[in-house]
Amino acid sequence: MTETEVPRLEEAAILQFPAGLPGFPGMRRFALQQLVEDSAFQLLESVDGDGVSMVVTRPWLFFPDYAPEIQDEDQDELRLVRPEDAVVFCPVSIDREAGNIYINLRGPLVVNATTREGRQVVLEEDLPLRAVIEVDTY
Amino acid sequence: MLVLTRRTGQSIMIGNDVKVTVLEIRNDQVRIGVDAPRRVQVHRQEIYEQIARENAAAIREARSTTETLRRARPRQDPPER
Repeated sequence: MTETEVPRLEEAAILQFPAGLPGFPGMRRFALQQLVEDSAFQLLESVDGDGVSMVVTRPWLFFPDYAPEIQDEDQDELRLVRPEDAVVFCPVSIDREAGNIYINLRGPLVVNATTREGRQVVLEEDLPLRAVIEVDTY
Repeated sequence: MLVLTRRTGQSIMIGNDVKVTVLEIRNDQVRIGVDAPRRVQVHRQEIYEQIARENAAAIREARSTTETLRRARPRQDPPER
């Protein structure tokens, strides 16, 4: 799966995560929107009224060689037939004390672009939960 | 906690559709096979908890992350001199 094969989801798409997210199993419906127009970052916001949101990004913008191997069970459950059906986001977090921005490469969110269903997968490969990324502000 | 004794090759059923089988026991390691429907995600506890912790951190810091990254783009490699 490469960046060029990743389809775009239109803005403010509603995504379903039937299993919820680890630690937040009750949250199943999220709206995905750009932070600002043409941003490298998106906001995934629960629409079930619990005020939960997280910032996500396309990992290939920062790690062009990222090659997550999606397990058969996850592919089947998400009904991913072709690699280009899958959209991959990684959670972004900030350590304000250290001044670092991290993305979670070990637990990407994989979404079927057609069904809008996703799940957070846990990769077998020993990838960092906190990979530091560098940004420029404009 | 329910405690059961099983031998190599024996299984337990959890509900109607999850089967956990002891495949091999060697010293203090046990190899376990899990047959579960696709919708049931099976993870090692440590990594599941790490992912849950990272999610919690991402959610807790969502507001400041949004503010910090509102006008941010991936850093471009500096031009060569």
